[in-house]
Amino acid sequence: MVYSFLGLIIGLLLGFFVPWSIPKAYSSLFSVALLASLDSVFGGIRAAMDGIFDDRAFISGLVSNALLAAFLVYVGGNLGIDLYYVALLAFGLRIFRNLGRIRQYLLKRQ
Amino acid sequence: MQIKRGRLSMVCVCVVLGFLLALQFRSTRDFNANLPYQRTEELAARLQQMEKENEVLRQSLDELKEASGVEKYSKFSEDMKMISGQTAVEGQGIIITIEDSKQGSSSTNDPNLYLVHDEDLLKVINELRAAGAEAIAINGQRLTAMSEIRCAGPTLSVNNVRTAPPFEIRAIGNSKDLVAAINMRGGVADALKVWGIVIDVQQIEKLYIPAYKSSNQFKYAAPTEKQEGE
Repeated sequence: MVYSFLGLIIGLLLGFFVPWSIPKAYSSLFSVALLASLDSVFGGIRAAMDGIFDDRAFISGLVSNALLAAFLVYVGGNLGIDLYYVALLAFGLRIFRNLGRIRQYLLKRQ
Repeated sequence: MQIKRGRLSMVCVCVVLGFLLALQFRSTRDFNANLPYQRTEELAARLQQMEKENEVLRQSLDELKEASGVEKYSKFSEDMKMISGQTAVEGQGIIITIEDSKQGSSSTNDPNLYLVHDEDLLKVINELRAAGAEAIAINGQRLTAMSEIRCAGPTLSVNNVRTAPPFEIRAIGNSKDLVAAINMRGGVADALKVWGIVIDVQQIEKLYIPAYKSSNQFKYAAPTEKQEGE
């Protein structure tokens, strides 16, 4: 857990001091991909607490979720369907459900 | 082994996640800072500041000119200054006030027809010059050989100074001739009145017309002794 936090902080610092920024056109794709990876991370934490964590499933889920989400939003943008909000809603719901499970688990452990 | 590998992947993912989060955060912040309207506001503020500075400089230039007293006061240079609009002048003349139409434009007509445009003023000015006007000013801006009259959005730009309606055109000359030229049957005033544009002509015995306030600088033209055809 401590290592994960350390990694998160390193990543944050890296992101802040890297000179690139995301072009406005790709901003929504990027944010959906970000949300998908957040969702995967919370899912991974929950799985670890349930004792069924599998790193291969975790990594593949993360990558495929992020890519698929970005791809769907891209296609939706070209078709005139705002799949952006659909992705936001779906991932948001899942994040909150996973958070709820983690919280219950933490409460039970005490 | 299983736990260690899981932990390593978790750490890697956290690094990537933090990186993405920070990047997104920074980008969003940059977008908000670069909104185009902020640029517009900045430019408008700068323009105002520059105009103020310009005014101050012009005043100091006038003061310096007065203090130096180098300018020769011969009849010729006096005439030249009057022609170029460098001095304020006084004499008999007329004041024409032109204002946008008070009629509400009907939906079928182009609302532009009911507004005063640069073309209208140009026609009036041309008419005045044809009638022998010696000095002309629009809303306090003396017309010189290099003055422009053009639409600048909802306002009009004369000598690069923007003014809004009503437009007050002052002209010095034989006031009867000038009035007749404007009120000529089928002339400019008639054409404008069709659209309800308010045009009012007033004869004044002693009319004041201000000097041209900027300075003329010739960047490209230089005097020459050459004759035509050489």
